[in-house]
Amino acid sequence: MSDRHEEPEAVIAGTSMGGAMDLGVDEAETLEKRPGPDGAGPEDRPRSLWSDAWRDLRRNPVFIVSALVILFLVFISLWPSAITSGSPLKCDLSKAQEGSQPGHPFGFDGQGCDVYTRTVYGARTSVAVGVLATLGVAVLGSVLGALAGFFGGISDSVLSRITDVFFAIPVVLGGLVLLSVITSNTVWPVIGFIVLLGWPQISRIARGAVITAKQNDYVQAARALGASNSRLLLRHIAPNAVAPVIVVATIALGTYIALEATLSYLGVGLKPPSVSWGIDISAASPYIRNAPHALLWPAGALAITVLAFIMLGDAVRDALDPKLR
Amino acid sequence: MLLEVRDLHVEFRTRDGVAKAVNGVTYGVDEGETLAVLGESGSGKSVTAQAVMGILDTPPGRITGGEVVFQGRDLLKLKEEERRRIRGAEMAMIFQDALSALNPVLTVGDQLAEMFTVHRGMSRKDARAKAVELMDRVRIPAARERVRQYPHQFSGGMRQRIMIAMAIALEPALIIADEPTTALDVTVQAQVMELLAELQREYRMGLILITHDLGVVADVADRIAVMYAGRIVESAPVHEIYKAPAHPYTRGLLDSIPRLDHKGRELYAIKGLPPNLTRIPPGCPFHPRCPLARDVCTTDDPPLYEVSGTRGSACHFWRECLDG
Amino acid sequence: MGRYVVRRLLQMIPVFIGATLLIFLMVNVMGDPIAGLCGERQCDPATAARLEQEFGLDKPVWQQYLTYMGNVFTGDFGTAFNGQEVTELMATAFPVTIRLTLIAILFEIVIGVTLGVVTGLRRGRPVDTGVLLLTLVVISVPTFVTGLLLQLLLGVKWGWIRPSVSSDAPFDELILPGLVLASVSLAYVTRLTRTSIAENRRSDYVRTAVAKGLPRRRVVVRHLLRNSLIPVVTFIGADIGFLMGGAIVTERIFNIHGVGYQLYQGILRQNTQTVVGFVTVLVLVFLVANLVVDLLYAVLDPRIRYV
Repeated sequence: MSDRHEEPEAVIAGTSMGGAMDLGVDEAETLEKRPGPDGAGPEDRPRSLWSDAWRDLRRNPVFIVSALVILFLVFISLWPSAITSGSPLKCDLSKAQEGSQPGHPFGFDGQGCDVYTRTVYGARTSVAVGVLATLGVAVLGSVLGALAGFFGGISDSVLSRITDVFFAIPVVLGGLVLLSVITSNTVWPVIGFIVLLGWPQISRIARGAVITAKQNDYVQAARALGASNSRLLLRHIAPNAVAPVIVVATIALGTYIALEATLSYLGVGLKPPSVSWGIDISAASPYIRNAPHALLWPAGALAITVLAFIMLGDAVRDALDPKLR
Repeated sequence: MLLEVRDLHVEFRTRDGVAKAVNGVTYGVDEGETLAVLGESGSGKSVTAQAVMGILDTPPGRITGGEVVFQGRDLLKLKEEERRRIRGAEMAMIFQDALSALNPVLTVGDQLAEMFTVHRGMSRKDARAKAVELMDRVRIPAARERVRQYPHQFSGGMRQRIMIAMAIALEPALIIADEPTTALDVTVQAQVMELLAELQREYRMGLILITHDLGVVADVADRIAVMYAGRIVESAPVHEIYKAPAHPYTRGLLDSIPRLDHKGRELYAIKGLPPNLTRIPPGCPFHPRCPLARDVCTTDDPPLYEVSGTRGSACHFWRECLDG
Repeated sequence: MGRYVVRRLLQMIPVFIGATLLIFLMVNVMGDPIAGLCGERQCDPATAARLEQEFGLDKPVWQQYLTYMGNVFTGDFGTAFNGQEVTELMATAFPVTIRLTLIAILFEIVIGVTLGVVTGLRRGRPVDTGVLLLTLVVISVPTFVTGLLLQLLLGVKWGWIRPSVSSDAPFDELILPGLVLASVSLAYVTRLTRTSIAENRRSDYVRTAVAKGLPRRRVVVRHLLRNSLIPVVTFIGADIGFLMGGAIVTERIFNIHGVGYQLYQGILRQNTQTVVGFVTVLVLVFLVANLVVDLLYAVLDPRIRYV
C-alpha cells in the first residue's frame, strides 16, 4: 500500500542535467508537442491541465467503465435494498453450503446465509472504509506534507524521520498488532489504523510536489512581490500539488479496500456480525472444496471493486501526466 | 556526388493531425564539401538528416517519398541490416547535446571502442587502444587516463570532442553534424568547429552542418541550403548568399544578425512565426511573413527557380530580392 | 562514500528506535502481556503479580523498553509463549521465510523484468495492452484472494501441488507460495520496467547508439536495458524487506511455519517478546536493505555521488 521508494539522498552530478535535457529535445518531439504556434483556429487556444485531462478522460473507455462500476458500488452501498430484498443476517443452517437456486442466485454459505445478499451488503463496508480512510489520509497527509515541504528546515527533517519510522513497519503486521486487541465492532478502528499508517505515503507526495512548485519562477516572483506565506501556499502552490495527491489517493482507495478485507480475513479487521467481503472470504476458505461459490462471489466483488478504483486512478494519472502523452 | 537527397517527403502523426515536416527537399554534398543547412527549429532540417541517417522514429514519423542516394545506392531501398552497416561506418552523426547523446552509465572508452568491436570485429583490447588514439586525435588531454571516465566527468567542449571522435572513428565518407556547437559556451564553440573543419579536410569527408547560426556558416561552409516549413527556399554557394540573398527569408535571416557597424540601430526580426506544420498555408508557405508577398504568393507554391548554374531560389520575385 | 554510509547508519538509529518503540508500545499498551504468559487459562492474581515483577512489568514502559533493547543487544530476545527461547523460534522461522522471499524475488526478476522489457518495447501493441491489464488485475486482487484461488485450482482441483506446505518447507513446495507472495510486486516490477524502457527508448543516447550502427540487440541490452533497470533494481532491493514483513498472509494460507506464522501466533497470544523480537529483526532487515539499495544505486549509475 505504500510508496516503496526511499528517495536516495544523492546528488545527480553535473548540475546542468535538467537544462541540458531540454535542449536535447529533437525536432520530431518538438513538432509533436507544439500547440499550433500560429494561434489560428479556435482549437488552438491554450487549455488548462484539468480541462485537457477531462477531455482525455471522457474518451477513455477504461475511465468510463471504472467510473460506472464505482457509481454502481456507491449506489448499492447507499441503498442495498434496491437490488436485494433479503437480510444479510437472516441465515438458515439447513441450507448451508447449498448452491445456486431460484431467488438465491449465488447460493448459500457455510452458515446458510444468502451469498448474494451478503455480497451486496459487503459493498457498504468496503466503500465506507475506502472513502473515509482515503479522506483521512489525504487531509492529514497533504497538510503535514505541504507544511514540511513549504517550511523545510527542522520541521521537514522531523517529519521525514517520522515517515521513515512508519514505512519501516510492515502494514499488515502493524494492523495485526494494533487491531487484535480492539473489540469494537465498527469500521472506525480499521479506518483509524489505515489513516495512522497511510498518511506518510501522501505526505511524501505532497511534500515533493510542494518543493517542486516552490521553485517555480512565478512563486518566487509572488514571494518577491510580498505575498504572505498562507497566500503563497493556497493560491500558488497548492493547485500544483493537488493533482499528484488526487491520483495517489484514488489508487490508494482501492488498496485500502483490499487492506480492510485482508485484515478482516486475518480476523482482526471487522468481526461478525459485521458484513464484509473479507470476513466472508475467510469464513468460506475452510470449506473451499465443497462450496467454492461462497468464496468466489465475495472475492470477485472485492477484486472488481479494487480494480475499478485502481484503474480510475491510473486513467486520471495518464490524463494528468503530459509526459506520457 | 557523395550524397544526393531527392524530393524527400517526411510526415509525422501528431495529436493535431499529420504534420508535414519535410516537403520535397533536394540537396547534395560532395566529397570534401561542406553543406550548411540553415533554418529555424521546426524547419525540417534535423528531420531530413535523421531520414538520411535512417534513425527517424517510425512511428510517429514516416518517409512518404523521395530518394536518398549515397555512394550510388538509394538508401531508402536497402534492408535495415544493410543500412545498419553503413551507419556509423560510412556516414556518422554528431548530435547537439553530447551530455544526453552519450550513454551516462558507460565510460567514454567503452562507447568509443564499441565502434571498432561491432563494425571491425576488433578485440576489446585493440579497440580500447584505438579509443585512446581517437581521444588523442581530438586533443583530449590525458586520454589514457580519461578513457575510463564517464561522460558527466567531462566539460561540455570535451564531451563534444568525444562525440566527434566517435563520428570519425571509422573514417566515414559523410558526417552529419546537427547543431554541433549550439549547446556550448561561445569561447568553446570556435575551437570545436575548428577541430571539426580540420578533421574534415584531413579525411576529405563530406559534411552536412545543420545550424541556425549564420556566423558559423560563413567560416566553414562551401554551400548553403536554407530551409523553411520543410522545403529548401534557397540554395547557393556561401559567398553569393552573403553578398545578395535571392529569397526574402534568407534576407530576413541575414538582417537579423547583430552587427557591430549597425550599433544603435534596432535589431531586425522577421515578423510572425513559422507555420504550424499540420496546416501549412497554401501558395508560398512564407507569404504570411513576407514583405514582398503579392496575390500570386497566396495561391502558387513557387518551384526552386534557377538563379544561376549553382544557385536556386523558391521565390516568385527572386530577381527583386536579389536587387535588394 | 564511507562518510555517507556512516551518516546513513546514524540516521537509521532514530528510525530503528522509533519503529521498535512504536511496536513495543502497541503491544504493551493495547494488550495485556500477563494474559499472554499464562497461556489459555486466566492468571490468578498472585501469579500475575509475581510474573509482573519477574518481567519488570511493574516498571514504567520506557524503562521496560530500555531493558528489553539492552537484552536484545546481548542476544537475549526473551521467551516465547510456549517457553521456547525467541531466538530458537527465529532460527527455525527465518530460514523458511528467507527461502520464500528468495523465490519471490526470483519471480520478480525473471517474469517481471522480462514482461516489462517486452511491453516497453512494444508500447501500444496488443501484447502491451494485454499485459498491462493483467498487471492491473494482479495488483487489484488482494494477495489472500490470489493465494486462496491458486490453492483451490492447483492444489485442490488439479492436484498439481500440495495445498499446504510441510513443516521443513523445502524449496519445491514453496514455489507456488513464492509466486503468490511476489504477485503484487511482480506486477509493479513489470509496470516499472515498462515505463522505464519506454521512456529511455526515446532518449538521445539510444538514438546515438542506433546512429552508431549497432545491432538492435546490442542497442537494447547494452544501452537501453542498462539504464532502464536502475529504478527496477532499487525497487526489487527495497522489496526484500516488504516481502519478509508481508509474508504473514501467504504463510497463513499455505500453512508455512515461517516468520509470519510465528508473529501471528505471538500476536494472538499477546506475547510481547515474540512480537517485538521478530519485528525488531524485520525492521533491521528493512533498513539495511534500503541502505544497500542506495549504495547499489551509485554502482549502477555513475552520475550519483554521495555527499
